[in-house]
Amino acid sequence: MAQYLPIFALLVLGVLFGALSFLASGLLAPRKKPTAAKLAPYECGIVPDREPPARFPVRFYLVAMIFIIFDIEIVFLYPFAVVFRQLHTFALVEVLVFAAVVLVSFLYLVSNGALSWGPGKWLRVGLPARTSESTIARVSVPPPPGRAA
Amino acid sequence: MSIPGEWYLVLAAALFIVGALGLLVRRNVLIMFMCIELMLNAANLTFVTFSRMLGDIGGQVIVFFVLVVAAAEVVVGLGIVVAIFRRRASTSADDLNALKG
Amino acid sequence: MLAAAAIHVPAIRYLAIMPVIVLLGGAILLLAFQSLLRGPMRLRMATVATVAISLAAFGLAWWQWADVEAHGPYTTIAHAVVTDGFSVLVTVLVSAVMALSAMVAEGYLAREGIEGGELHVLALVSASGAVLMAQANDLVIVFLGLEILSIALYVLSAYNHRRAESGEAGLKYFVLGGFSTAIFVYGIALTYGATGTTNLTQLADFLSRNVLIHDGLLLAGMALLLVGFAFKVAAVPFHMWTPDVYQGAPSPITGFMAAVAKAGGFAAFLRVFVSSFGVLRADWRPIIYVLAIVTLVVGAALAVVQRDIKRMLAYSSVNHAGFVLLGLQAASAVGVSSALYYLFAYGFMVVGSSAVVTVIGRHGDRDHDIAAYRGLARRQPLLALCFAVLLLAQAGVPFTTGFLAKLQVVVASVDGRSVPLAVVAMASAALAAFFYLRVTVLMYGPGPDAAPAPVGPGDPPLAVARRTRLNAALLLELAPVAVADQPQRAALAERVPVPALAAVAVGICVLVTVVLGVFPAPLVDFAHRATLLFVP
Repeated sequence: MAQYLPIFALLVLGVLFGALSFLASGLLAPRKKPTAAKLAPYECGIVPDREPPARFPVRFYLVAMIFIIFDIEIVFLYPFAVVFRQLHTFALVEVLVFAAVVLVSFLYLVSNGALSWGPGKWLRVGLPARTSESTIARVSVPPPPGRAA
Repeated sequence: MSIPGEWYLVLAAALFIVGALGLLVRRNVLIMFMCIELMLNAANLTFVTFSRMLGDIGGQVIVFFVLVVAAAEVVVGLGIVVAIFRRRASTSADDLNALKG
Repeated sequence: MLAAAAIHVPAIRYLAIMPVIVLLGGAILLLAFQSLLRGPMRLRMATVATVAISLAAFGLAWWQWADVEAHGPYTTIAHAVVTDGFSVLVTVLVSAVMALSAMVAEGYLAREGIEGGELHVLALVSASGAVLMAQANDLVIVFLGLEILSIALYVLSAYNHRRAESGEAGLKYFVLGGFSTAIFVYGIALTYGATGTTNLTQLADFLSRNVLIHDGLLLAGMALLLVGFAFKVAAVPFHMWTPDVYQGAPSPITGFMAAVAKAGGFAAFLRVFVSSFGVLRADWRPIIYVLAIVTLVVGAALAVVQRDIKRMLAYSSVNHAGFVLLGLQAASAVGVSSALYYLFAYGFMVVGSSAVVTVIGRHGDRDHDIAAYRGLARRQPLLALCFAVLLLAQAGVPFTTGFLAKLQVVVASVDGRSVPLAVVAMASAALAAFFYLRVTVLMYGPGPDAAPAPVGPGDPPLAVARRTRLNAALLLELAPVAVADQPQRAALAERVPVPALAAVAVGICVLVTVVLGVFPAPLVDFAHRATLLFVP
């Protein structure tokens, strides 16, 4: 059983560390309940006169997520770049295959309209063509009543 | 002065346990994602430390794979979160209660 | 220290990785083709392509088998990938299950009105991950296979975006799967630190040559790896995600997940523990022993009280995982081959069962209460017969593969001197037989139209339905009880449309289950010759 001792020691230490962290944050955190002003995004300055838009279009998140994937794939090109002289054609072929696979996913995204702005392909079919007049008409919609303009 | 490798290992173990506890305690899905990332990065730190201690580059190569896989995983997770919470206000895991029995 | 040695390109035997290349490459080609089309891809086209790709992998697996039989097992790509009888059998299973699931999924997608072939693409990717796990001879490759398998499955569980349950299942699976992945990676890191290698052969070699005095690090790594695997194969107490995910995922995916994720997970589990950590079996066998007992008992006990058929299948899959653990616990060549046989038999049974569940679920994947099966034999005798055969096979009735599977793991367990474990397994099989029989009896009992509705005049139907559901005593549903209101009962009395391809898939599953149960020799022989490359 003695051989399991380090594991138990590690476990105990780990749990202790976690528990102590929580305890410490409980002890050190400010006791007073924060006031409304304290919770405001900006503690000082001009009080915003209207609510910021509640949420972003999903498309922003989508682009950010797609970016992460393509960004991180680059990491595989660094080791290749260091040793490609030693590996000759084999590594080149491998990297080309890798690039092709990544390209296919890009192709899929483009074909699904994940990277095109404005209403999606399937929505655009029913809409009338956009003209300068329609745009102006949309912009000049009067603000809803009850809101100081 | 060089810091002994064991210290890094202890740091990694601590990070790993913080991540695991956080995952179990916190209810916000996004924070749970961050905890998973913390655990994976603790494992990465362990790999690099051992790689250094053993003088074997294999451990550092593994970090590449873990990094990329973790990124792919979190993107999939965020995609699912966006799909679910499009019509909801909160990202609390307690709101997910359609499935039980 | 980390000197740049001359780098050599490792020799590659392409036949070894051909099934993975075909599955993964096929998925990518399918995706590319789909992206280049102007409109959404025709579903039938995607299905035919998927089945063709799976069959190609299936054929390649048999080629590998002939190669292994003639020249013996071998490793390639710097010993990172192995081809032996063990990996070939898992490849055969996974590619067959992939083809069958694609056939079931087509009817599902058509019924739900979901366009495009992304589901097929993701399933192919997932299957390639399972094959990679079976062929992995390096912990890093196990990890990559596990992630390729899992990440695609996370998306597949959340695939039906019109059902809230589907997204929830995906998220739950993702969070718990990510947790188990992190534990698994940390386990690899500790094992690497203790032994200086992640290669499974070198690991076994190292452990057989050295006796570690301070082996805390190694044991901790091994324990974390065990937890990671136990999560993936849904062993109690790491099974929490299973019922929710199985219930919420689209029905064809439930069967696919049960068969492929279990096959891949157990393949790597068996290889890593039996062949690499074989020297340490005195350390891990007791843990698996306890895990197997808890898994067997909890799986069977909780399955009995379920009313949702998919949840019931989920808990029954937990119970089946317990049986496979029996084979692992034996830690011998016999144990491995019996576990493999079990996985093979279970794969076909569960895909067939979930195909029937998919069909019965109707539009929107709603009718999964077991009341939907009441009197099915009157309305659709053939469908009911197939489902009954598949359920009874899972219960372990003789003349099916299910019986032989249970028999073999129990024999292996007795061989490994774990008689109490074998006794618990048989007791849990008896308990499990109860819920399979319950559905079967329900199907062959009177139909819903024969049941008078005990609905009070003032009761809104929904409240009655809810109350009945809450009061669901175990035997209550054998007595005529109205579970739903009148129109819905009328709908339940109608025949459900069975898509042709789904019918073919169910037929194949039943055939495999029965024919190989009556003539067991070929598959038993296959499983016995499908040995691991290295067993200490």
